Amino acid sequence: MSWIRIRELARKEFIQLFRDKKNRPLLIIAPFVQLLVFGYVLSTDVRDVRVGIIDQSRTRESRMLRDSLEANQTFRITHYKDHPKELEEILLRRKVDLAVKIGPDFSERIRRGDSSPIQILADGSMSNMASVKIAYTSLVLDKLNQNLIRELYHQKMDYGKIDARIRTWYNPNLESRNFYVPGIVAFLVMLLTLLLTSIAIIREKEVGTMEQLIVTPMKPYELILGKTIPYIIIALAHMIAVTLFAIFWFHIPMVGSAFLLFFAICLFLLSTLGIGLFISTVSSTQQQAMMTTFFFFIPFFMLSGFVFPIASMPTVFQWLTYLNPLRYILIIIRGIFLKGVGLGVLWPEFLSLMVLGLIVFASAVKRFRKRLD
Amino acid sequence: MTGLGSDVVYVKDLEKRFGRFVAVDKISFSVKKGEVFGLLGPNGAGKSTTIRMLCGIITPTSGYGRVADHDIFYEAEGIKHSIGYMSQKFSLYEDLTPFENIRFYLGVYEVPPEQWKDRIEWVLDMTRLHDVRDRITRELPPGSRQRLALGCALLHRPEILFLDEPTSGVDPITRRHFWGFIDHLAGEGVTVFVTTHYMDEARSCERIVMINEGKIVVTGSPSEIISEVFPDTPDSDLNDVFIELMSGRDS
Amino acid sequence: MNLINIKAVSRKEFYHLIRDFRSMYLAFIIPLLLILMFGYALSLDVDNVKTMVVDHDRTELSRDFIRKLDASSYFKVIYHLRDTVAAIRYLDQGSTTMAVVIPPGWTEDIKADREAQMQVLLDGSDPNFASLSRGYITAFVEAYNRDRFIDFLNRSGKERIEPPVDGRIRVWFNEDLESQNFIVPGIIAIIIMIVGAMLTSLVIAREYENGTMETVRSLPIRGGEFLIGKAIPYFLIALTDVLVAVFMGQVLFGVVMKSSFWLMVLASTIYISVALSLGLLISIATKSQLVANQIAILVTFLPSMLLSNFVFPVENMPKVFQLLTYIVPATYFIDILNGLYLRGLGLDHLWPSYLVLVGMLVVLSNIGFAILKKEGM
Repeated sequence: MSWIRIRELARKEFIQLFRDKKNRPLLIIAPFVQLLVFGYVLSTDVRDVRVGIIDQSRTRESRMLRDSLEANQTFRITHYKDHPKELEEILLRRKVDLAVKIGPDFSERIRRGDSSPIQILADGSMSNMASVKIAYTSLVLDKLNQNLIRELYHQKMDYGKIDARIRTWYNPNLESRNFYVPGIVAFLVMLLTLLLTSIAIIREKEVGTMEQLIVTPMKPYELILGKTIPYIIIALAHMIAVTLFAIFWFHIPMVGSAFLLFFAICLFLLSTLGIGLFISTVSSTQQQAMMTTFFFFIPFFMLSGFVFPIASMPTVFQWLTYLNPLRYILIIIRGIFLKGVGLGVLWPEFLSLMVLGLIVFASAVKRFRKRLD
Repeated sequence: MTGLGSDVVYVKDLEKRFGRFVAVDKISFSVKKGEVFGLLGPNGAGKSTTIRMLCGIITPTSGYGRVADHDIFYEAEGIKHSIGYMSQKFSLYEDLTPFENIRFYLGVYEVPPEQWKDRIEWVLDMTRLHDVRDRITRELPPGSRQRLALGCALLHRPEILFLDEPTSGVDPITRRHFWGFIDHLAGEGVTVFVTTHYMDEARSCERIVMINEGKIVVTGSPSEIISEVFPDTPDSDLNDVFIELMSGRDS
Repeated sequence: MNLINIKAVSRKEFYHLIRDFRSMYLAFIIPLLLILMFGYALSLDVDNVKTMVVDHDRTELSRDFIRKLDASSYFKVIYHLRDTVAAIRYLDQGSTTMAVVIPPGWTEDIKADREAQMQVLLDGSDPNFASLSRGYITAFVEAYNRDRFIDFLNRSGKERIEPPVDGRIRVWFNEDLESQNFIVPGIIAIIIMIVGAMLTSLVIAREYENGTMETVRSLPIRGGEFLIGKAIPYFLIALTDVLVAVFMGQVLFGVVMKSSFWLMVLASTIYISVALSLGLLISIATKSQLVANQIAILVTFLPSMLLSNFVFPVENMPKVFQLLTYIVPATYFIDILNGLYLRGLGLDHLWPSYLVLVGMLVVLSNIGFAILKKEGM
C-alpha cells in the first residue's frame, strides 16, 4: 500500500472537484438549501384546524358549542355561512377542514333532554391529519357534553372513570422538526457520496484517463481509497456543518453523544461509498451512473422510515428495510438526538450498519477490477 | 524462458476476441532491448488491441506473452513499473495544469518525493512546457499536450515505452521533432514500441510488424520488407508495400 | 416549426431507446416499479400500535381493560411487564412506542366512583405516529369511560341519559381514512416529474457534451425542433407510465377515481409537458450532464415531495415557503389529482390549476427557445 499514491490521487480529486466552478454551489450551498427547506417544510403537526359553520339555531347552547371549539387553541372558525350548499362548497374547495351544521332545533332538543344531533363533515383527504382532527373534535364535544350534563342535572356526576395521564417522551411537544431535521444529515451524506463516488470513477473511464491509470502500478484498492477519501472528508464536513446548523439554527435538542454520531456516520459511509463503487462498476457512462444512483436512492429514502413509518408498511417491505443502511442510521441519529441513548441501546443498529457496510463495500471492491474489459 | 535472451517483449499465438469478433488472431513476434519497433496496419487491424494487451489494460483471450520478464496474463501488475504508455487519445487530466498532472503521476509511480523537484524540471525542460506549467491543460495547443503526455509517460524512466499512434492529428513539423526525440530515447537504451499508419514514420523503425485484420502479414526491417514484397522494383517504398499488402492479395 | 423534422428526430430517438435496453428500462420500467412499490408500501396510517402494559393492580377489572385494549384494532399488546424501568428500556430501543401503566389501587378507585389515574408513556419522536397514537388512546379511554358512566347511571337508578350533543362526524372525500388514497396520486406526480425532467435534461445535455448541437446548427433543422423531437418519445413513455400506474392503482390498491378519466389524461399530458420542458431548460442552461442532473434533482425531487401539499400541508409552512409552493408544478397536479380522485370535482372547480400548468408550460418552453435562438439555433 502506497500512501503517496493515495494522497496524490485524493489531492487530484479535490483539485478537480473544486476547480469546476459549477460544482462549488452544489457542494457548498445545496446542502444548506436542502436543510432549510426540510427544516421549515416537513411538518405534519395539527396546529390549525379551519372550521366553517352554519348556526341556524343562534342560541346560548349553540354559542357554547362555538366557544368550546374556539377555546381549544387548535380550532379556528374561519367561515360563517347561511346555506348548507355554501358550506359544502368551501369544504370541496379546501377552504376549511371541518364543516359544522347546527340545525334550528338544536337548543330545544337539548333543553328537552333529548340528544341533539349536529352534523360535522371532515375533509379526510389527508387521512393521517384528518384522524387527528377528528379525535380533537370528539374531545371538544365530550367536554361540552360534560358541561351540559352538569348544567342540566345540577348534580355532581362523579363516577369511577379513568383519568389517562399521557406523558410524551423524547419530543414532548410533538415538534415535527425535532423528528425530521436530524435525519437530514443522513439524507445529504447519502446523496452526496452515492453520486460523487460513482461519477468520479466513471468520469475517468469516459474521458479515457482510466486507461492511463491502469498502465501505472497503482493497485485497485489504492485507486478506491484515493477516490473515496475526498468524499469521506466532504461528507464528514457536511455532517458537522449540518449538525451545528440543526442545533443552533433550528434549536433541535441534542441529548446524546456527538462522538457517537460521528462514529455512526463513518459506519454509514462504508455502505454508501460501497454502493457508489458498485454503481460505478455496473455503469459505463456518467449518465447511466447518475440514473442508477438516483433510482437506488429514491427507494432507500422512501423505505427508510424518514417520512413514512416502517411500522405502517406491509410486512414484506418491513423486512426489506433491514437491507437499507438509511434505516439504521436514522434510528441511531434519532436515538442520539432525541432519546440520548448510547451504544448500550443502539448496538444492534451499529452492528447491522457495520456488517451491511462491510459486505457492500467488500463485494463492490471485489467487482472492481483494474482492467477495461 | 525459452532462450529469449535480450527480448523485452515476446508474444506467441496471442489472441483477443470480443464476443465473436476476432480482433487479434494468434500473432507472434518479439522485440529486442533498445529497439525501435513499429506495429503497422490500417485502422481496425488490431494495433491498439495488441498494445493494450501488452500494457495490461485488457486481458488476452488466449496465447502467451511476456513484457519486461513478466507474464501478461498473470503478472500484469508487475509489468507496470517498467513501462510507459501513451494512448492515441489524450488521456491526461484536461482540467489540471501540466504541473499538477506531472506531480500526480510522480506520486502514482512512487518516485521518491526528494527527487520530484529534479524530475519536474527534467520533464518540463524536455517537453519545453516551462512557460505553461500553470495553465489549464485543456487550453494548451495539441502539440504541447502531446509533449506533456509523452513527458508523463517517461516520468518514471521506463525501460519500454508504448506509443499508440502517438502522432495522429499532429502537424508534420511537430511530428518530425517527435521522431527526433524518439531516436534520442532509443539512443539512451529505451525500447520503443510504436503503432502507426504513417509509412514515413515506419521508416524510422528498426523493425516492423505489419498486421491486417488481426493477422501478421509481414515482418522485418523496412528494407527487408520492401525487397521481399517488391523484389523487382528496388525504388519502391513502404507506402507501396503497405498499399499492396493491405488492399489486394489476401481478401 | 416543421413537423416533419420533429417527426424524423423523434423517430431516431425512439429507435435509440428501443435498442438501448438500459435506457428503456430506466425510462419506463423503473418509474412504474417505483410508483407501484411506493403505492403499496407507503402509508401514514397507524394501526396495531405496539403497546406494553405494566399492570401493578392485577385485578379482574385491570385484566379486562388490557384485554379490551389488545382486542381493539388500534393497539397490540406485545409486552406484559413488571415495572416501568423495563418499559423505559423498550421505549429507548424503539421496539415499542407506547406503555400503559396501571397503578396499584386502580380498581379500588374505580369501584369507589373516584377518578382512577392511569399513566400512558408515549414515544413522541415521530410526531405523526405519536399524535395518532395519542388520539387513539384518548378515544379508547373515552369510550371505556362512557361505558362506566352508563353503568353508573344504571346503578344509581336513573334513566339512561343521552349525551346532549350528538356529534355525527362524517368523513368526506376519503371515507375510510386510508392514506393510500392520497399517497398514490402524490407519488405519481413526484415520480413523473423526476423522471421527465431528469431524462430529458440528461439526454439533451449529452447532445451538448458530444457536440451534436453544433452539428444541428449546420442542418436545416432548428434547435427547437430538434429538442422537441428528442423529447417526444419520453413524453409518450411518461404518459404510458401514468396510465398504467392509474390502472394498477385501481386494480391493486383500490384507489378509485371519482371524476372523469379524460380530465386525468388531460392533466397528465400538460404536467408531463411541463416536466419535459423543465428538463429541456435545465440542459440548455447548463450544457453539462453532471450539473444538469444535480439541478434536476434539486428542482424536481425535493420540491415535488416537500413543497407540493403531498404529505406536508402547506398551511404548516412559514409564509416564504408557502409562496414557493405556488411555483412548484406538482402542487397543481396534486391538487388536480386530489380533486379528480377524491373529491369528484370537474373542470368547473379545477380550471385554475389546469390554467396555471398551461401557463408554466408556455413560460418554460419559451424561455428555453429564447435561449436557443440567442445561441443561433
